[in-house]
Amino acid sequence: MSLSPYIPIVGLFALGAGFALFSVAIAPFVGPRRYNRAKLDAYECGIEPTPQPIGGGRFPVKFYLTAMLFIVFDIEIIFLYPWAVSFEALGVFGFVEMVLFIITVFVAYAYVWRRGGLDWD
Amino acid sequence: MNGLVTLAAAAGEVKGGEAATFYLLAPIAVICAIGMVWARNAVHSALFLVVTMLCLGVFYVLQAGPFIGMVQIIVYTGAIMMLFLFVLMLVGRDASDSLIETLRGQRMTAVLLGLGFAGLVATGLYRALGNLDSVGLTQANSVHGGNVPGIAALLFTKYVFAFEVTSALLITAAVGAMILAHIEKRPDQKIAQPERMRARFAPDNYPGPKPGPGVFANSTSVATPAVLPDGTQSERSMSKILPQRELTAAEAAPKGTEHQ
Amino acid sequence: MDDKLTQFGQDVWWLVLAKVLLVFVFLVLMTLFAIWYERRVVARMQVRPGPNRVGPAGLLQSLADGLKLAFKEDIMPKMADKAVFFIAPVISTTCAFTAFAVIPFGPTVSVFGEKTPIQLTDVPVAVLLVLACSSMGIYGIVLGGWASGSTYPLLGGLRSSAQMISYEVAMGLSIVAVFMTAGTMSTSQIVDAQKDTQTLTLGGFDLTVPGWYAFLLIPSFLIYAIAAVGETNRAPFDLPEAESELVGGFHTEYSSLKFALFFLAEYINMVTVSGLATTLFLGGWRAPWPISLWDGANQGWWPLLWFTIKVLLLLFVFVWLRGTLPRLRYDQFMRFGWKVLIPLSLLWILTLAGIRVVQGSDLTVQARLAVVGGPILVALAIWMFWPDKRKAIEDPGVHGVDAAGRIGGTEGFPVPPLNLEVPVSPRAQRVLGERETVSTSKES
Repeated sequence: MSLSPYIPIVGLFALGAGFALFSVAIAPFVGPRRYNRAKLDAYECGIEPTPQPIGGGRFPVKFYLTAMLFIVFDIEIIFLYPWAVSFEALGVFGFVEMVLFIITVFVAYAYVWRRGGLDWD
Repeated sequence: MNGLVTLAAAAGEVKGGEAATFYLLAPIAVICAIGMVWARNAVHSALFLVVTMLCLGVFYVLQAGPFIGMVQIIVYTGAIMMLFLFVLMLVGRDASDSLIETLRGQRMTAVLLGLGFAGLVATGLYRALGNLDSVGLTQANSVHGGNVPGIAALLFTKYVFAFEVTSALLITAAVGAMILAHIEKRPDQKIAQPERMRARFAPDNYPGPKPGPGVFANSTSVATPAVLPDGTQSERSMSKILPQRELTAAEAAPKGTEHQ
Repeated sequence: MDDKLTQFGQDVWWLVLAKVLLVFVFLVLMTLFAIWYERRVVARMQVRPGPNRVGPAGLLQSLADGLKLAFKEDIMPKMADKAVFFIAPVISTTCAFTAFAVIPFGPTVSVFGEKTPIQLTDVPVAVLLVLACSSMGIYGIVLGGWASGSTYPLLGGLRSSAQMISYEVAMGLSIVAVFMTAGTMSTSQIVDAQKDTQTLTLGGFDLTVPGWYAFLLIPSFLIYAIAAVGETNRAPFDLPEAESELVGGFHTEYSSLKFALFFLAEYINMVTVSGLATTLFLGGWRAPWPISLWDGANQGWWPLLWFTIKVLLLLFVFVWLRGTLPRLRYDQFMRFGWKVLIPLSLLWILTLAGIRVVQGSDLTVQARLAVVGGPILVALAIWMFWPDKRKAIEDPGVHGVDAAGRIGGTEGFPVPPLNLEVPVSPRAQRVLGERETVSTSKES
């Protein structure tokens, strides 16, 4: 396989990264610098200032569950892609296998749903 | 540029563009792997790992496996490292490593296992660098008309059992995550958004934001603590990083603008 | 598959460079234009002129704003994690730019004697590259929010990461049907596959439809469109930067060019999802129906125009949504993503696969109907009779208003009268007997 189709991607990546890095790097020199200690404080409008972000800068554990479910579905999607691309070639056998796979993952999904893992408040 | 790369692709030889990319990214991958171990901050550590994973993804593409390369980026850097990041953010940004060892003999075991692993890698490398001819994926990629159909064909013939077993693994992952992280509330403990809203606007609860710094004070500086309606200073309105400022006599003196 | 992609990666070096630069300039210009466009359109919807001072019709307004941002002070909060705070906007912008590398703008043209497609490049896994970039782009937002060391950005980053990963699943599932129909993941071939009008045989009926997958795979298109709005953090799904509750969300602490980069990334992402929608569902750069009757419509440089018009129309939908819909509550939003979009997508994929498997086999019409309709009926039945233990939340709507004009009983909060009658002021005790309630409705 020739790698040359990937070169423009690298080129665009390099250009984008270069532009972004350049912008971020020159920002302190282009703009004015009027030091004021109050500017270093976290911006909190209308609430009592907190020395630290809520909960000591922690994420609630709820997000762990979401991320885990995301991985489960991501892997399912990744398996779906090759199947979809060679759908014609795989035929009925591939379809049956994929139905089995999706149903099995759906069991996990239904379990999480019933236990309330998908509820947000 | 084009000629070089086409040359490199021939017969699976490592040349030209492929070699250049490898020698550029391999040190980055290794340095970031070391950085991951050395970084003090857990989030920095995770970010170093992200870069290493990205480099691995590029390596896969380089070795004629574009699908697995993209999957590496989507699943490992996109999903799994995001989970890592969530877990690290779970423990808070100021949590540093505890130096107290809770497992006895941890160091000894770690050294032993490390040595064993190093031995394993060395033997593997020795064998790999020996008289092995690399075949490359050129042939495998052309049989079914491309990389992705090739993977699909293998997945649904030779590895169909492994594929189906993966779904069981995914169930395990979901159930495990539920058991670890899900706090099931009893139905009467659940507070939904409408109830919260009702509670917020219920009598005896002030629904608006509390006064910020400087409000009700006779100075406009953020450093001035807020004054509560009863005249006392609100401790909670003071920023921890700003020095507290005492008003001078001149500043505190009535300016004649106050409501007498 | 690879042999159909041989036209890519054959360009001479200056052509590659020129294309890279052009895509970059296209994205920056589209961003500048889209900001102006959004402000003008939303202004029209709100019956006001919008920006009209800088340049003709205010076209240079966004450029002026961008320049102004460059000359603003660059502030880094004391609690910020310096390195991560610095790198987060770079990640966002770089990923946004890279994703556009595989979007096709047009067919092969001749530039100074070199034949080249108007597309930066194409690879067998092109659509996956876009997905990979969007999944990497999430890091910019999460890290930006986390590194700021401040409450609002943390909340914004938290929300947006959970939101984006949730809607990425729906997005990933929605394009499976496209791969299934086109049989490829390369963008140029997907555009090619939508070239002809297709005849759909459904239970014995022959339907002639345009080759666009937006018609052929309507559920996929709708799910993609919804997921794309969620993925780009746009209204009504703009919870990460819900200004009424989170100030600016993850970019609250960012100022100057760092903020500009986040802004740029958001708009480029909008252009990218619109471009991808055009490519996957709207026939790509091919001219729409009345124009496509003209032979030259799909040749030369014209397709560039069709592509841009399609993208701009999709951007208009983004603005339209913003001008029309109120922001969703977070729990509604997540429930919609996980409990509606994902099962719907999976069901649709299975249905489509079932139909196509049956189409390929030689069965009678009745058998086909049974095979296709049976699972759908079963799935519908399961969905409808799915036991839901949770009682429906008490409707706090109009019915809940009691005699005292409160919602939620004596503990509740008061609501204004719903018949638009101005109530008598409680302070006007003395004139109570003399005054009637004033009605604003015209009939009385």
